Amino acid sequence: MLSGSDTVYVLRYFDVIGRAEGCRLLLTAANASWTEEHPEWPAEKANQPFERLPVLVERSNGNEWILCESLTIERYLARVFGFMPTDLKQAALQEQMADQQADLLSAFFAQLTATGDMKPKQIDEFNTLFDRMVKEHGRILSRSSSKQHLFGDHLSYADISLYAFYKLFIVYLKCYQSDIAEIVKSKLTPKIINLILSIEKEPQLAPHFSKCDTMAAIFTAKDF
Amino acid sequence: MATSKDPQYILRYFDRIGVAEGSKLLLSAANVEWIEEHPEWPQEKPNQPFGRMPVLIEKHVDDTDFVICESGNIERYLARAYGFIPSDIRQAAFQEQLRDQASDMFAAFISQLVAKSEEDRRENFAKFDGLLDKLVEVQTKQINANGNNGHLFGDKLSYADIVTYAFYKIIVVGMVKRQANIVDIVRPKLTPQLIKLITAVEANPLLSSYMTRSDSLAAVVTKPTSARL
Repeated sequence: MLSGSDTVYVLRYFDVIGRAEGCRLLLTAANASWTEEHPEWPAEKANQPFERLPVLVERSNGNEWILCESLTIERYLARVFGFMPTDLKQAALQEQMADQQADLLSAFFAQLTATGDMKPKQIDEFNTLFDRMVKEHGRILSRSSSKQHLFGDHLSYADISLYAFYKLFIVYLKCYQSDIAEIVKSKLTPKIINLILSIEKEPQLAPHFSKCDTMAAIFTAKDF
Repeated sequence: MATSKDPQYILRYFDRIGVAEGSKLLLSAANVEWIEEHPEWPQEKPNQPFGRMPVLIEKHVDDTDFVICESGNIERYLARAYGFIPSDIRQAAFQEQLRDQASDMFAAFISQLVAKSEEDRRENFAKFDGLLDKLVEVQTKQINANGNNGHLFGDKLSYADIVTYAFYKIIVVGMVKRQANIVDIVRPKLTPQLIKLITAVEANPLLSSYMTRSDSLAAVVTKPTSARL
């Protein structure tokens, strides 16, 4: 662990799951001292380094460091707190998965906002890509020695990133598209559902669920 | 079986200046043996790990290849492997942040490019324009904080220098056929500090072989505007 015990973090974001869930889960799993701020928006836009959220503020020894860009913040926290492998190839495999997931979010918004004859094309592209993502998750899991973790036998950046990804699509994005949760759930395999639920039960993540619901109730016996 | 004459890396992408440009620059600057492959598309789509490009194949002498995809991921892997990203985690994050910000700007550029209705195009262009202004501001601030020596950090060619250069090149050189006015939109916004960085990247000896095969971005951004002729 590369963070001093007197280091505190502030995560600035909207009061939604959105693009910050991975950051929240990492800070929780790390048992870091952290709080969340929900800046008035757009009043506070100009006060952010890139006029966007999330922003991570790190304070230690009287110094303050500010980082933005959700995936950069995730990779930074994952490295500081030991959730990212130090081996470059192993790290690249985990980062690749997170980047692919981010592509899915872009594809979701592309099909949501598409009009005319682009709409069915974008919907098709999204569905194809999502199926591929589930397959990729399954492929990584099948090569893992553990069925509760994607890489190795400890909670890793990839596990946290996967959990945040499915939570985004199953719990959050319905505020944009009411049927997306059902569409996504229908694509999941029992092995992936089991993985999601196993990650959720990680003791390191327990404090997270004092503030929000688990996904366990969302999957019924029919899904297994 | 791979021999010492075989390439160490294969980069698969389209034959154009696009999101693989940063990877091309890094492979060149790393001075490794590498080649480009331009698979038939979309025929070769199912044969890629995620149905997309770019893809990086690292060849090993025992024939176990290491294959990764996702342009940003490929860049970060190469940059770390060949010393262009600092080992200090925080310094690395500052550099990665700049790449992600440039990538956000590029995504906004694409949004306004592909917008169908005039209303969408205007709205998306305003977003792109605002993001570009902000990006130039944060990049210029960092260049100034670093002493305006042609680098964003330190005094050697870094990952941040390369990806900053790459994203401007994608838009101003790579995309000009799809949006002719983009040069006149971007060029006036580039500060002298950014032009100095772009020029310094192209002049860096580590990129001399890259520059023999690639158009100059510096030539485009230092050209006088038509209004001044």
